[in-house]
Amino acid sequence: MLDAALHSALAWLRKQPDVRYAEVRLVDEGSERLRLRDGRPEQVTVEASRGVGIRVLGSKTWGFACSADTSEGALLAAAARAVAIARASSGVAHRPVVFPEQPASRGTYETPLAVDPFTISTESKLSALDGPVRALREGDPRLRSAEAWMDWTRQKKRLLTTEGTDVAQTFTFGACGMHVFASSSEGLSQRRSYPTWQGGDGFQAGWERVGLLDLAGNVDRVKDEALALLTAPPCPAGTRTVLLESSQVALQIHESCGHPTELDRALGTEISLAGGSFMQPDMLGKLRYGSSLVTLVADATAPGGNGTFGWDDEGVPAGKRALVEQGLFVDYLSSRETAAALGRASTGTMRAEAWNRTPIIRMVNVSLEPGSAGTLEDLVASTDDGLLVATDKSWSIDDLRLNFQFSCEIAWEIRHGKRTRILRDPFYTGITPRFWGSCDAICDARDWRLWGVTTCGKGDPMQLMHVGHGASPARFRDVAVGSAS
Amino acid sequence: MKGDALLALGRDVLASAGEAEVELYLRVAERGCARFATGELGQHMQLSEPQAVVRVARGTRVAETVTSRLEREALVEAVRATGRAAALVPEVEAFPGFTRGDEPAGASPVRHAEATAKATPEERVERLAPVLRAVRDAGLVSAGMLETAAVAHALVTTGGCARSHDATTASFRVWALETPGAGGAAGYGGHAHRDVGELRLAEETERAIRVCRMSREPLSLEAGSYDVVLEPEAVTELLEWLAAIAFAAPEVEQETSPVAGRLGERITGEAIDLTEDPLCDDPALGFGAPFDREGTWRRRVPLVERGVARAVLYDRTYAARMGAASTGSAQLPAPGSAGGVGATALMLGGGTASSVDELVGGVERGLYVCRLHYVNGLLEPRRAVMTGLTRDGCFLVERGKVTRAVGNMRFTDSLLEGLARVDGMTRARKAVPTGWSDAGAFVSPAVRVRGWRFNGRSQEAPRG
Repeated sequence: MLDAALHSALAWLRKQPDVRYAEVRLVDEGSERLRLRDGRPEQVTVEASRGVGIRVLGSKTWGFACSADTSEGALLAAAARAVAIARASSGVAHRPVVFPEQPASRGTYETPLAVDPFTISTESKLSALDGPVRALREGDPRLRSAEAWMDWTRQKKRLLTTEGTDVAQTFTFGACGMHVFASSSEGLSQRRSYPTWQGGDGFQAGWERVGLLDLAGNVDRVKDEALALLTAPPCPAGTRTVLLESSQVALQIHESCGHPTELDRALGTEISLAGGSFMQPDMLGKLRYGSSLVTLVADATAPGGNGTFGWDDEGVPAGKRALVEQGLFVDYLSSRETAAALGRASTGTMRAEAWNRTPIIRMVNVSLEPGSAGTLEDLVASTDDGLLVATDKSWSIDDLRLNFQFSCEIAWEIRHGKRTRILRDPFYTGITPRFWGSCDAICDARDWRLWGVTTCGKGDPMQLMHVGHGASPARFRDVAVGSAS
Repeated sequence: MKGDALLALGRDVLASAGEAEVELYLRVAERGCARFATGELGQHMQLSEPQAVVRVARGTRVAETVTSRLEREALVEAVRATGRAAALVPEVEAFPGFTRGDEPAGASPVRHAEATAKATPEERVERLAPVLRAVRDAGLVSAGMLETAAVAHALVTTGGCARSHDATTASFRVWALETPGAGGAAGYGGHAHRDVGELRLAEETERAIRVCRMSREPLSLEAGSYDVVLEPEAVTELLEWLAAIAFAAPEVEQETSPVAGRLGERITGEAIDLTEDPLCDDPALGFGAPFDREGTWRRRVPLVERGVARAVLYDRTYAARMGAASTGSAQLPAPGSAGGVGATALMLGGGTASSVDELVGGVERGLYVCRLHYVNGLLEPRRAVMTGLTRDGCFLVERGKVTRAVGNMRFTDSLLEGLARVDGMTRARKAVPTGWSDAGAFVSPAVRVRGWRFNGRSQEAPRG
């Protein structure tokens, strides 16, 4: 029935003389969200969402409509609304959208799983969180509050286009972590998280990933560091050598490489949420983005990546390509329409959050290639004076993605190749190409890890997206640092 | 679908599901979003957002289901499945049960405008055409969005609570830009109203063009402390983060809030009155439903009075646990958010200044800031330390006059300490649309702050 309704809507769209292209996208999604705080359930929620989004390119421009009702009649009505919107909007269009043809794609994609998380009972999942969250508060009254969480999402997506594309994809996304807040009688509050900040702990995998995380095995370290932060001095302001641990490099990539290489931002079509980009098309192949050690790739095929898929929401197959090659800016994250504006082919990054949102350019897995500086401990050992900064706490970057400032949960001072005292409330700030240009060491593949951002916000209305970032710890010279304290 | 139809559906579902303790919130939003950029209407969308939030209790064990499927049979099954799940989850400490029919409710404010609810794609295009033309004729590039939204709400519980409401919001944001996406001069205008016919499209477009023209050839200013005059759009960016970190019971209980342990104490300047005022009857300032997701009738809550912390926002469970009464502040789950507790209609009280110019007139050397960008309030929440940047208009003020444009600056400062240095606010206030609120807008005057700390500046984009 549903298949027939989808095809019926597509057939009707094909008959419209002014429809140059159309896509009919079914999304059927289910989630389970679990959160324990201080031993009690803060959230035990099952979510379900199903509907169809229809995007139409008329004689000049686009129209989008959607329906939660997936009956044939409802989808035909939604298709008619999308066409009507495209026709209405054409009255103010100055030039027709250029949208190159794309060979039809056919096939299926499915997240590889060892253990399907939706076969694990809710009680078992809550039990996996309950022990760590209780242990996080034991032993010291200054351990004021602890939380642990686990999210699972299964998204089934079917894309049909007037070009003949017919792809079906099934994704399984997960996220899991914990944090503790320690408070002092002087009014300080310090958070320490594992494996990283909440929202940076996503992955595309099954239940097996939870066991690998080993929450229980990290409780004592997390508690100790949270308590140590209460008596630690604030990070002194100055210009320092900064070592970022892997998840902080991931967020640095996200904000200062991922977003500015989105071609819709560079061309100005994302102004109404977050701004433009300093990485303009005339800089392709010319802009020195970072040091020669810095190669950043967009890889939608990385196994287990939060930004991995088979095809994007325009039917373009997933691929892997460099955005920055040995420090040089070489490519964008793009769509068929935006890439055509540069005479290039789409890099296949159009995705929509849900059935009731239109696709926009989104990061895939944008990752820093590993270097040759050994492990994190090797990197520390090779640093005479500096700071090792870990786990993001706040993030901010300007509307061209140049001036950034991140604060982190913790820093360790490095003296003569050794970690010494802990410093609290560290932040570091800089200008994107200058910062990446100061990168003089990247750890090798042994400490490279693929992180997942679960709530990357973009679009208007805002859409949240699963994206990924792989990174090893890295070192940057002459970075401005300070403390929020 | 209107609120009364949702209410009837909810009652029918509860009667059929056979569960003893159920709360069912139904919400349907129909949004028309005409998003334009580079002078073209490139994303024009009709968005349907149906949502049912089902909670079922078995004693103090509570499970929740959120679904987009509002067919009667799907909802009955969702209630039953949630009931089965509730039997298996841990107990919620101090869970007080769902709202009962005898709990107080006020008169439902009229917040629905038929013109907004019925706006067609053709009407949105017709209203936008002069906007696009005006910016183009000014030799600039336009971007922004015109949205018309109708939202129906209904809440029904097995305890006899039954509420419904219909609201509309029309909002408009416009940028006039020197370049499409590469930076340069920019100006912004925006307005929200429940009636699309009342939107000040021409006036706000003219403002965006004027600010963009003023923003050319910016001066690069050194970091340091500057007296600033912040437009309402800039102030509300800061208030959004203050709402997120300060006034909700979970953050207070967790002792991460700057209000934790400080109720009754002065936390900021005497000039500051901050109120959660979801029932405000001003048609230009009040939006959203008059009850929260639990059915508790919202109420006016003075959070900060003359700089003294007075109150915290609660849902029913946190109120029961912390010995207080719900303030009607339970929020609906949304993508990326569990819901929880929060402000929906934060309003900063106005001052006595008759205009922004009057505030600027009291600055010897400082900055006039139209908007802020990418503010983050998680640096040190106990002191409400925030960072962010100026955007879409930042100007040098010398001897009481705006003299020239300044390149975007980064600030890092404590908002509460900054508000303690406020010595002027406009009498007039403005509702600024925010995605952080169920209702859709926070309200602020323009504010003058002495000695706001800037620790960096954006640099001109590098060339290849």
